[in-house]
Amino acid sequence: MSVPALELTGLKKSFGKAEIIRGIDLSIGKAERHAIIGPNGAGKSTLFNLITARFPPTAGTVKLHGEDLAGLEPYQINRKGLSRSFQITNIFPAMSVFENVRCALLWAQGYKYSFWNLVNNSRGLTEGADAILDQINLLERRNLPAGTLSYAEQRALEIGITIAGGADVIMLDEPTAGMSHSETDYITDLIMKVTEGKTLIMVEHDMGVVFGLADRISVLVYGEIIATNTPELVRADSKVQEAYLGAALEEEH
Amino acid sequence: MELILVNIIDGLVTGLLLFMLSAGLTLIFSMMGVLNFAHASFYMLGAYFAYQISIALGFWVGLLVAPLIVGVMGAGVERYGLRRVHQYGHVPELIFTFGLALLIEELVQFIWGKNQMPYSIPEVLDFTAFSIAGNSIPAFKIFMIFTSVGIFIGLLFILTKTRVGMIIQAALSYPRTVEALGHNVPLIFMGVFGVGTALAGVAGVIAGPVLGTFPGMAFVLGSIVFVTIVIGGLGSLWGALVASLLIGWITTFAKSYNIAMSDILNGLGIATPENMSENPLRDLWTVTSPQIADILPYILMVLILIFRPAGLFGKRES
Amino acid sequence: MTDQITTHPSKPSERMRAGSLTLTVGPWVVAAIALMIMPYIFTSNSALTIMNQMWITVIFALAYNMLLGQGGMLSFGHAVYMGLGGFFCMHIMNYVEDFGLALPLPLLPLFGGLFGMGFAMIIGSFSTSGAGTRFAMISLGVGELIAACSVIIVAFFGGEEGISGDRTYGLPFFGIEFLKQIEVYYLISFWLMLSALLMYLFSRTPVGRMANAVRDNPERAQFLGYSARWVRFYSFCASGFFCGIAGGLFAISYEILTEENLNAASSGVILLVTFLGGVGFFFGPIIGAIVFTLLQTVLSLQTELWAIYVGSLFLATVMFFPGGLAGLMMMHVPAVRLGKAGGLLVPYVKTLVPAAIGVLGICALIEMVFHVRHGATGDVEMTLFWTTFDSHTVLPWIIAALVAVVGIGIAKATAPGLKEAWDEANTPGGAS
Repeated sequence: MSVPALELTGLKKSFGKAEIIRGIDLSIGKAERHAIIGPNGAGKSTLFNLITARFPPTAGTVKLHGEDLAGLEPYQINRKGLSRSFQITNIFPAMSVFENVRCALLWAQGYKYSFWNLVNNSRGLTEGADAILDQINLLERRNLPAGTLSYAEQRALEIGITIAGGADVIMLDEPTAGMSHSETDYITDLIMKVTEGKTLIMVEHDMGVVFGLADRISVLVYGEIIATNTPELVRADSKVQEAYLGAALEEEH
Repeated sequence: MELILVNIIDGLVTGLLLFMLSAGLTLIFSMMGVLNFAHASFYMLGAYFAYQISIALGFWVGLLVAPLIVGVMGAGVERYGLRRVHQYGHVPELIFTFGLALLIEELVQFIWGKNQMPYSIPEVLDFTAFSIAGNSIPAFKIFMIFTSVGIFIGLLFILTKTRVGMIIQAALSYPRTVEALGHNVPLIFMGVFGVGTALAGVAGVIAGPVLGTFPGMAFVLGSIVFVTIVIGGLGSLWGALVASLLIGWITTFAKSYNIAMSDILNGLGIATPENMSENPLRDLWTVTSPQIADILPYILMVLILIFRPAGLFGKRES
Repeated sequence: MTDQITTHPSKPSERMRAGSLTLTVGPWVVAAIALMIMPYIFTSNSALTIMNQMWITVIFALAYNMLLGQGGMLSFGHAVYMGLGGFFCMHIMNYVEDFGLALPLPLLPLFGGLFGMGFAMIIGSFSTSGAGTRFAMISLGVGELIAACSVIIVAFFGGEEGISGDRTYGLPFFGIEFLKQIEVYYLISFWLMLSALLMYLFSRTPVGRMANAVRDNPERAQFLGYSARWVRFYSFCASGFFCGIAGGLFAISYEILTEENLNAASSGVILLVTFLGGVGFFFGPIIGAIVFTLLQTVLSLQTELWAIYVGSLFLATVMFFPGGLAGLMMMHVPAVRLGKAGGLLVPYVKTLVPAAIGVLGICALIEMVFHVRHGATGDVEMTLFWTTFDSHTVLPWIIAALVAVVGIGIAKATAPGLKEAWDEANTPGGAS
């Protein structure tokens, strides 16, 4: 039995008296594509933030490849192979698209805090960044300031930055938020392509994306997971239908 | 024993004065996220305006009118200057208030010249209230204490018991929500800035006769005020109060008791070196507490920043 | 969408050239040549002194911008690093003189740099955990603390008189004793080129790039594997190093360091200089330093009120063109690329010249007010714009007021035309 890529045990988080996450146990295997769905206010973003150490849990543990992440800073967790995107596009708007991706490569290629290398002279950085840009189809926009890209392009760039460092556990926070149907399809394909062979954990609202992409789905309601299963079984689960999916499913079909 | 009492009173005067400045600054910071570098400049303007008015109409008219003028100016600065720069971010805002402080100092010199103004205590208050062990306590200092305390009580009342106060408190934390509820938040911002600077103006009116009315007065007090709110914790009114009083008392006591470092070091068992004039550490040995009284707040600030970065009462990173 | 550097993404060789150094060597060579020949154009001793001051300020401003522009960190107490570097060099100069060590003068700024960096490491260890208001406040407090200590610690800082020394202390360096101003000039120029080049290259290193990233989005940078705090710390130390170099050059040039070099006023000045020049471009602080030094030396001879003018200019910069002078210049780049910049020339003259004249009229009024209010009684004559007149009569006032009103009026009237020309110059296509 191999070590799960990500394991949450008894995870709880309270802000003052408000208990947002009420005890979550979840185990996500290597190279699994796992979606987390749930109504607004269920605590999905809080859960993400707990895993990525934006703030510490009130109780419980988070283990990455079997290693307890307690007390680590976000950048340390990132170095251990976990990378995340953000719900609100979080790129570097003043830098060019190319530079955005290149920054994401710096640590992974071992440059650390060096001040004796010139980034422009590094073939590894340039070719690596261009390869990623190619994957996310932004090669034509290479030298534009990232802030001038369209919304969908910026989201694609966000995904590119997230995977560029070579992390093997990728967490995407509502990657298709605010997109039209065609844009959503485009991004979904992109996600499929770039997370090949990696562990993917995704928060999503769009059921079409979720059912098309995920190996397993967890349903988060009021800070608790009420079901974790394959998409078909989750869809058929009466608890889930009651709590959440009913109206949304009818909308989708 | 009696000396301690005198120092307590003196320290209280300084501390309350500091609080008047730091309270206004904290209000402005909590609401708008702007640290008003020019806050002490409004303090200076208060003193100068009061002086000018007092020549023609007397001290009391000055006390009433000068803060109002300063408050209006402050509101104007917010409306026409700060609001414009706000869109560029926090750093430009800070730089703007810094430039404003520079300009106000230059303008004051332009209008009134570089010398100290003969702004003096009004005759009716110019007597000794009482003596403690031969040290006379001027009535004006008692007046300062009462005025400061009176203003705070008034402020506290307005903030906690009136409708306007409630709205302001809400807007302090959730300006967007308050705006959505139909309140004119920009107007509130302008008002708070105006009141904050008016408070600084009042401090200037009462402090001017005692601390001196000269173009450098803003600078002298200005940095201490910032140190105060950092020690107290950015955004905390209680922190500002505690820190102000603390600094007021520490500096007063340090100045009044001539504690020599050499005595302390000797007491710790370290012998005084013989050839003092050649010793590179000679300044450390000869330093006395009055010398370092004015920099004690800075040392305290650095210590707080190392051991308790959020300040005494501060909330986490704003 | 146009690129200065046309690259076809699929051609590796062209892509490499896109970012390489060779493209930007030109300006550096030009600058080096200009530096070398300037003493032959401006030969007077006072010109040399001004230029020396300028170049030292440039290094300081560039170092300051490593924090402000590159790192988004606003420091209100940065003069201490330059000052400390300077004091340290001063002591070395005196020490070498007393003990006869063979330390060549040109190497001295390096020690200043190391000392400045050392201090930056100490202070940076607790000051760089935040970048915004908290960092600014710490820098202010620490700056004040060190400046205040400097009056107390007489052993190192020399108290009221400061520390002075003699730069001709040691053995001549290849025969140069640095007695003459011009020799100092070339020494400063050498260090200027070296420092500027190193600082420019720093911004192109991984830590330099991440400094920009951390400035724009510290949270995102964390999820790229970088600790925002460490990135800021390294930038801070690097900045301290170059500030120390500037301090060492100051020590060499003026042969005296005092508390003034450390205090808040000096820190304020460098903020003003850097911001005025423009924090968004590498060369911004260079422009700011040159312009400010000129204003400080030349303008202050003309009027006592130069500080008001500079302060107003600064405030106007913050409010109306926060990109600084460099930003103003670079705003024209799109028009230049389109080849349409020429169309702006006439509208600029039509609007800016009357505006300038109007501003001069206002300045005249301000000067006259000052003279009337603060001049010695009986001293009624003042000289302005090469004319001497009696400031207590009405006529000069009327003239000045008229000039101001007319100048500003014309400027306002022609401003819409300028706006039109600007839009036209920035729109691609159409006849130029």
